[in-house]
This record gives sequence, structure tokens and C-alpha cells, in this order.
Amino acid sequence: MHSTIARRGALRIAALALAPGFAGALVAVAVPAADAVGKAAAHITHTVVIDGTKFEPATLEVRRGDAVVWVNRDPFPHTATAAGAFDSGSIAANRSWRMTARTAGRFDYLCTFHPNMKATLVVR
Amino acid sequence: MKLPVIVLAGALSFAATSALPQGAAPNDAQIAHIVVTANQVDIDAGKLAESKASNKDVKAFGKQMVTDHSGVNQQAVALATKLKVKPEDNPTSQSLKAGGADNVQKLKALSGAAFDKAYVDHEVAYHQQVLDAIDKVLIPSAKNEELKGLIVKVRPAFVAHLEHAKMMQSALKG
Repeated sequence: MHSTIARRGALRIAALALAPGFAGALVAVAVPAADAVGKAAAHITHTVVIDGTKFEPATLEVRRGDAVVWVNRDPFPHTATAAGAFDSGSIAANRSWRMTARTAGRFDYLCTFHPNMKATLVVR
Repeated sequence: MKLPVIVLAGALSFAATSALPQGAAPNDAQIAHIVVTANQVDIDAGKLAESKASNKDVKAFGKQMVTDHSGVNQQAVALATKLKVKPEDNPTSQSLKAGGADNVQKLKALSGAAFDKAYVDHEVAYHQQVLDAIDKVLIPSAKNEELKGLIVKVRPAFVAHLEHAKMMQSALKG
């Protein structure tokens, strides 16, 4: 009982500390639950830049648990969509979308607004 | 009273379109005006498709044209302001505008599948026409590197729109 209460208190503090970004709070709280302690530090964040209606790099290789951030530098929206695997929805101009790669595999994805805009995410 | 207007618009558009690749190279102020006009013409057609198209993909495409070309125009206007370039009207802009008005007038008279087909057919032809202008006139003529850079950066979006419109064109046939 005691440890449950203490843990709740810790969660509340974590949530308060991250209050400006509610989604950030969810991710931060979820990480220790999903991964063994100590393993999380090895995870890195990769960036895919969307510029000139193109994904750069066109092929990105990451490890399971790594995060990928798509940054849209075009003056109009794009998506990063792999049918059945992930879908950013509309990423507005100068905005980004972050995803944690949880499933291993090779994912060909595209922008649903500009379907000839294609790239690949490989999760090892 | 309506018919002569259509005929006149059509005649203007024909004369102007055929004049598009010719003439003296435009200066940067004119290029800025052409960029803004070319986007505005597609925004106007897109708005119409957004409200009138019956096929949901065509409707979504119209909405996207409004979003994408508005985004490009915001950036073009911001750049022109920064560079202190005052966009200057010119024959190419006038021909694009006349062609756009003619297209909107034709589209307004249509509905249902006929509207969808006419809109998509025009989007294919229009994006091809603008890409030709980008490659043959705008990029080679632009003096300011930032202005040239903006056109180079947005060019692939025009290619994507053209490919997307062609995909819809064949889907509508099938």
C-alpha cells in the first residue's frame, strides 16, 4: 500500500513538472513502465526533415525504442503515413510530429497529400 | 448577355496563353507577381472544387490546393516584402488571371461528375503549364537568389500536384 501511494505521488510530481506539454507528460510517464530501468538511456531521437516536398533522409534506420521526429519546413502541410503501421495525420507548416518506433520492420511511407513523396523507415 | 462575356474571356485567354512562353524575360518584380498570380488562380479553382465537387477525393484535392498554394503565397509575399520587391503586373500574370477566370466561369456552369472531370482535367493542364513556366521562364530569369530558391523549393509540390491530379484523372475514367 505504502509504495503505491509513494508512486502515485511521484507520478503526480512528474505530471506537474511537465504540465505545459500534456503529451510530453504522458510519454515521460510511460517510458519507465515500458522499458527496463537503464535501457531507456540508450534510446535516441532521429529527425526526418520535410523540405521541398521531400523526406530527408529518404531511408532512415533506427533501433526499437528510438524516437523519430518529422519536421515540416515547407509552407504547407504534409503527412508521414505507412498504411497499417503509422500515420502522423496533417503536420502543419513549421510543425513536427514525433513517434516512438516500437515495432521492428521495414516501413515504406508516403505523404497522403503528395503521394509521389515517398520514404522508408527501417526499425531494427 | 452572358455569352459574349464567355467568348471574350475565352478569346483573351487563348491569345494570352499562346503568348506565355514568348516575350522578354521578366524581371524579379514581375516574377514575384507571376508566382502570386499562379497560386491565386489555383486557389480560386480549388475553392470552387471544395464546395462543388461531388467526388470526395476531388473535393479533398480542391481543399488541399487552397491550403498548399495559400502557404506558398504567404511565403512569396513575405519574401517580396523582405526583399523590398513590389510585385509588378505583366502580360504573363494577366494571361494566367484571364485563363483562371475563364476556367472558373466554365466550371460554375457544370455540376456532378461533369464538374469533377472538368476541374481535374484543368488541374492537370494547369500544373503542367505552370511547371513549364517555372522551368523555361521563372527559374532561368530570376536574378535574386532567394527568389530563385523559393521557386526551386516549391517546384516539387507542383510536380506532386500534377501527379496527384493525373491519378485522379485516370480514376475518374475508370
